[in-house]
Amino acid sequence: MDQRNRLFVPRLLVVAVGSSVQFPNNDSVSHQVYSFSPAKHFQLPLYKGEIHPPVVFDQPGLVVLGCNIHDSMVGYIYVTPAPYFGSTDAHGALILKDLPKGDYQIVIWSPYIADAPATLTRLVRVEGTGSQAERFQLKLGLRDEPEPKPRRENWDY
Amino acid sequence: MRLWLALLMALAAFAPLGAGAQDRLTLDGDLDVRWVHATGEPSFMNGGMGILRFDPAHEGLELGRAFLAPTWRIGDIVSLHAVLDTYGDHNRNPVDLSELYLSVRPFPTGPVSFRARVGAFYMPVSLENRGIGWTDVYSITPSAVNSWIGEEFRTIGAEMEARWLGASSGYLGDFALIGAAYGWNDPAGALLAERGFTLSDRPSTLFGYLGSPPIGFYHEIDRRPGYYGGLTWRHHDRLEIRALRYDNRADPTASTQSGFYAWRTRFSSFGARLEPDAHWTFIAQSLDGDTAVGGDDGAQFYMRFRAAFALASYEWGRQRLTGRYDEFHTHQLSGFFGPPRSQDGHAWTIAWTYDLGEHWQFLSEWLRAVSNFPPRLALDEPLMQTQTQLQLGARYHFKAGW
Repeated sequence: MDQRNRLFVPRLLVVAVGSSVQFPNNDSVSHQVYSFSPAKHFQLPLYKGEIHPPVVFDQPGLVVLGCNIHDSMVGYIYVTPAPYFGSTDAHGALILKDLPKGDYQIVIWSPYIADAPATLTRLVRVEGTGSQAERFQLKLGLRDEPEPKPRRENWDY
Repeated sequence: MRLWLALLMALAAFAPLGAGAQDRLTLDGDLDVRWVHATGEPSFMNGGMGILRFDPAHEGLELGRAFLAPTWRIGDIVSLHAVLDTYGDHNRNPVDLSELYLSVRPFPTGPVSFRARVGAFYMPVSLENRGIGWTDVYSITPSAVNSWIGEEFRTIGAEMEARWLGASSGYLGDFALIGAAYGWNDPAGALLAERGFTLSDRPSTLFGYLGSPPIGFYHEIDRRPGYYGGLTWRHHDRLEIRALRYDNRADPTASTQSGFYAWRTRFSSFGARLEPDAHWTFIAQSLDGDTAVGGDDGAQFYMRFRAAFALASYEWGRQRLTGRYDEFHTHQLSGFFGPPRSQDGHAWTIAWTYDLGEHWQFLSEWLRAVSNFPPRLALDEPLMQTQTQLQLGARYHFKAGW
């Protein structure tokens, strides 16, 4: 989970429970990343030129990241116990390969989805041959997502 | 002139140190040099009643500003900030402090975080002056509202902030309550009463003087602390709203033997900054208040004032184009003989900036101010005056860290 131009890059990272995540700082300024989400409490000063240990995410759930120096920075780490997961691309598509035959539950999540979470889970059976597509149509669309503006070095006056 | 060249060379020598450092001590600095063309009456900076910083007797090559802003990270949550300024004008201190404060920011452990600042710093009013060293990022000259804030106000005391951070609840934004107690701001209001609002990017410094006749600002006269209370609301990283109530609680009958008077100055300020997309910024801000000096025996000087501006700015690539309209009024209701010191004015500002890489920025600004001010009668000048000011500037910025 990098930081550039006072933004988290990527804004949303999906990892498996038990993963360790590096927080390099490729910005021109220091950051102080924190989370007080139930899934992970941590405080990680990221001063430039210093090396930082990775953070291990050992509880499932959503971890909302902030920066104590730059209030407008928000990032998300979604820690999932699911065996198969990923992030959709710019077209909203995600391809999972080599799934064994069986019954699965699909859960989708984004900080910008306004639809009720219950409408975004689905049970599917994977037959094990060929490709299979599942399509979710959001009724309410995505919440008004602020387009993050790369910040110049402003001070909070 | 020699001083600027020495500074420029010193800055250029510092600049390459930026990379790979630890950031325990960081140093930001600017050198801002302008070519100025001005029309109209002499500036308040030079003994006149003009409301712009420069005038026909002070144009050509001018030092806009040079500053050094060190930040010392004492610990993870405590840092010391200073801004050291020079403007190359009549200030009695060639180099002076504009701000010096300790900032305490504990890591949030829940949705409400608490922060504090102690020392001398700008109050959170301006929505334009968001650059390092309180630089206006939209134009060279701030609005009348924020020019005045820069000239007569510095919080010398302590400020507390409680900020509700929305992100963990799924709301992209936050809401903060801010309160401060301070001293040494008793003369605030004297300059406004003397010459009305100005449009000037020449803020006061903590120990120096401003203008001609020179006025000093930060004195504690009546041993009564002042306060301000405000709130800010940041919505979706697109809209910021600020409101603040300021009252220096000065005793208007108090004065010092050296001739400084306490002015009871109060105002309310409201502002909003909207950034609907990656290009546009819209700002509107207003200020409304009063100031008084002298006993309540019929001779008290009492003035009401209000000022507001609206700004639109479009940023694309390395360029930014800004237009702003300012309106400002002071109304003297009592005290002193002679023509009332009531001012009515408005101003148009158009600015264009171009960022040439990391260090250099080119700036240009055209400003036209029209003001009506009865005390001009004493100088046999027309009450109504128009001034224009064209500035072309180059700003060199550097950052170093250790």
